[in-house]
Amino acid sequence: MDVGRMFGEVAPPLWSGGPAPGGFYSFPGTNNKQHETKTHTMYPSTSGTSVVGLVYDGGVMLGADTLGSYGSLARFRNVERTFKVTDKAVLTCSGDIADYQFIREVIEQKVRDDEISGFTPVLNAGALHCWLTRVLYNRRSRFDPLWLECVVAGFKDDKPFLGYVDKIGTAFEAQEVASGFGMHMAIPMIREAREKKGNLTRDDARKLLVDCLKVLYYRDCRAHFKYQVADVTAEGVKIENDLNLKPDTSWSIANFVRGYE
Amino acid sequence: MSLAVMGGADYMRDPRKHHFHPYADNGGTSVAIAGDDFVMIASDTRLTRGFNILSRDQGKVLGLTPKTMMASSGCWADVLTLKKVLNARLTMYSHEHHDVMSTTAVAQLLSTMLYWRRFFPYYVSNILAGIDEEGKGVVYHYDPVGHMEKLAFSATGASVAQIQPLLDNQIGALNMKDATPPTITKELARQLIHDAFVSAAERDINTGDGILIHTITKDGRTDEKVKLRRD
Amino acid sequence: MEGMDEITDKKDNTSNPFQLYMPLLPKSECQVGEFLVDENGRKLRLNFAHGTTTLGFKFKGGVIMAVDSRATSGQYIGSQNVKKIIEINPYLLGTMAGGAADCTYWERVLARECRLYELRNRERISVAAASKLLANMVYQYKGYGLSMGVMISGWDKKGPGLYYVDSDGNRMAGNVFSVGSGSINAYGVMDTGYSWDLTDTQARELGRKAIYHATHRDAYSGGIVRVYQITKEGWTKISEEDSKNLHYQYEEEKKKKKPTTTSS
Repeated sequence: MDVGRMFGEVAPPLWSGGPAPGGFYSFPGTNNKQHETKTHTMYPSTSGTSVVGLVYDGGVMLGADTLGSYGSLARFRNVERTFKVTDKAVLTCSGDIADYQFIREVIEQKVRDDEISGFTPVLNAGALHCWLTRVLYNRRSRFDPLWLECVVAGFKDDKPFLGYVDKIGTAFEAQEVASGFGMHMAIPMIREAREKKGNLTRDDARKLLVDCLKVLYYRDCRAHFKYQVADVTAEGVKIENDLNLKPDTSWSIANFVRGYE
Repeated sequence: MSLAVMGGADYMRDPRKHHFHPYADNGGTSVAIAGDDFVMIASDTRLTRGFNILSRDQGKVLGLTPKTMMASSGCWADVLTLKKVLNARLTMYSHEHHDVMSTTAVAQLLSTMLYWRRFFPYYVSNILAGIDEEGKGVVYHYDPVGHMEKLAFSATGASVAQIQPLLDNQIGALNMKDATPPTITKELARQLIHDAFVSAAERDINTGDGILIHTITKDGRTDEKVKLRRD
Repeated sequence: MEGMDEITDKKDNTSNPFQLYMPLLPKSECQVGEFLVDENGRKLRLNFAHGTTTLGFKFKGGVIMAVDSRATSGQYIGSQNVKKIIEINPYLLGTMAGGAADCTYWERVLARECRLYELRNRERISVAAASKLLANMVYQYKGYGLSMGVMISGWDKKGPGLYYVDSDGNRMAGNVFSVGSGSINAYGVMDTGYSWDLTDTQARELGRKAIYHATHRDAYSGGIVRVYQITKEGWTKISEEDSKNLHYQYEEEKKKKKPTTTSS
C-alpha cells in the first residue's frame, strides 16, 4: 500500500467543490451502480443422486452410483462422478453433472499448475475442501451457484479426512458424510454401526458402504445399481469402476406390496 | 427477495421445483459471561439443516487473538466466510503493528465488517468475548448487520429465547424485588452455562450433542468439552 | 492475488465508510427485509433491531431529547438497554429509530465528517449542515432498504437546532418531533403539555412523561427512559430511569391528586 494513496483514502476530498447546482452531493467511493439482471441457471438439469462416504481405521471410503437423471428420466446410466484429484484426495459430487464436469476440469488444471510450479506441496484433501468452500460460496454470492454437493475424501496431515461442501458454501468435516437422499438414509446406518462396533476396519467399511448404497438403490427412485467406490489409504487412491449392486439385491419382497397396482 | 432472484415466474413452473436460495439456517447456540478478571464463552456442537444433523462435533467458537474469541452461528456458509475474512484482517493488523489487536478494536472491526454486507447480509448471530485493556472480561453482542452492544452476559443463536431469560434472572437479577445480582465467579459462570445448554437441548431441536466451554483470563485460555443430549 | 481483493482492496468500508458491498442484484431486490427463506421454505429472521419511541423539542431553554431503550426483533426483545441517543460530539446529538445498525453506522460516519469539518474550518459545524450531511449520505442508498428516522439536534451560532432526517431522504427543521412506533403516544402527551416558555424542569419532565406513556402503551417501546438537554454549553445527560420505576412514581402522584378531584 503506497502512502499517498493511503492518506488519500483517509481524507477524501469531501468538501472540495461541493455538489453542482441542482445536483446532489456525491460522496467519494460510493458504489451503488445498478446491476443488470442476468438469468443464471437456477436449477440442475442432468443430475446425480446420493454420495456416501465414511472414515475407517486407516483410511476413507466413498461410494456413488453412476446414474445421470434428467428429471424423472434415467437418462445416462454410466456417468462417473468420482475422480482422483491427487494421491491424497478424491472428489465425488452429487447434483448437476455439468457443474461437476466444470469443477473437475478446473481442479485438474489447478493440480497441473501446482505440479509445474513445483513450489506447492501435493494438494491434499483438507486443502481441496477449503478451496471448494471458497469457490462455491463465491458463486452463490454472485447468484450463479454451482449446483453441487461435494464430498471430499483423502488425507490431511497424515490423517484420514472426509469433508462436505454444498452449493451455498456450507462446509464441515465428519466421520461419515452423505449427500442428497443419503443424508437421510445412509448417515443413520453408519452412525449406528459405529456406535455398535466402535472402530471400523476396512472390510467393515466396505460392507457398510455397499449396504448403504443398496438401501438407497431400493428406496431412492433416482438411484442405480451401477456404482463406483473410491478408497483412500496412506498408500494412495484406489477407484473401482463398474461395480454392480444387482446381484446382491432381492426384489422378491415387491410381490408382497399391495395397494399400488 | 427469493422469487425475484430466481428470475421470474418461469422457474416457479418448473416441475422439478428446484430453486436457488442463497441462505440456510444451520442452528447453533452460543453463550458468553464476563467476570471481573475472566470471560467464559461457549457454544453447542450441533450443526443442522432442516431436520438433518450435519455434524455433532462442530464447535462454533473461534479464537481470534490470545485475549479474544468469537462465537457465531446462523448460516454456516456465512459463518465460515466471516471467520476467514476476520482472521485474515487480524493477521494483517498484527503484521502492520507488530502487536495483536485489542478486544475493543476487534469488536468495532467486526461491527464494521458486518455492516459492509448491509445489502446482502451475513446471516449470522455473533458474540465476541475477551479481556479488555484493563484486564476485565467483556462481552459484545451483534445483530447480523453490525449493531453492537457491550454487555456483561449474553446468549445468541437458535436458543436465545430459552437461555437469555435464564441469564437475565440468574445473573442480572432483573425485576426481582430485594434481589442483588451475584458476583460472577468462574464456578458460577460454568454452572450457569452448563445448565443453560442442558435446558436448551431439552427443548430446542437445533441445540444439542455437546458444549465447548472456553475460559479466557489474562494468563491464557482453557477449553472444556461437556456432553449434551444427542437425540 | 485476486482472492485477497476482499481483504486488501479499497473495495471495503474499513478505509472508506461509503464503500459497501453491493450484491449483483437489481436495486429493487437489495431490500433484504425482515425475512429470507431457506431451502426448506422456512423463514429466516434477520434480527434487525426495530421499534422505538424517540422525541425531541425546542423550547426557550434549548432542546430536550428523550428516548426509550428497547430493541425488538419480531416478538423477541433483543435488548432493554440500547443507547438510542448517540453522542456525536459535545454539541450534537442524534437519535435512533428504525434499523439500529443503520443508525449507529451512519451517525458514526457523521461524527467523523463533523470532526473533519472542525479540523478543516477551525469552527464547529452547524446543526443544519450536519443534518444535511447525514441526509445526503443516506439518500445515496435510497431504495436499497436502509431504515432510519433520526433527529439531529445541537447548538450552533443560530442557537438551538433540531432536524428530522430519514432514510427516504426527508430532512426538515422543526420545533417538535417524535419518531418511532410509540411516537403517536408520545405526541399525545407532548402536544398537550408543550409550550415554548416551559422552564427547564417542566420541559425535562414533559419529555420524560411522554416517553414513559409511550413505553406503557406501545409494546415495542420500553426499558429505560433517557432524557438529555442541549444548551449553549452543549448537551447534558439529565436522567436515565427504568420505566417500571417511573410507572409507580406516576401512580403515586396520581393517588395524591385524587382526593382533590373527587371532592370538587
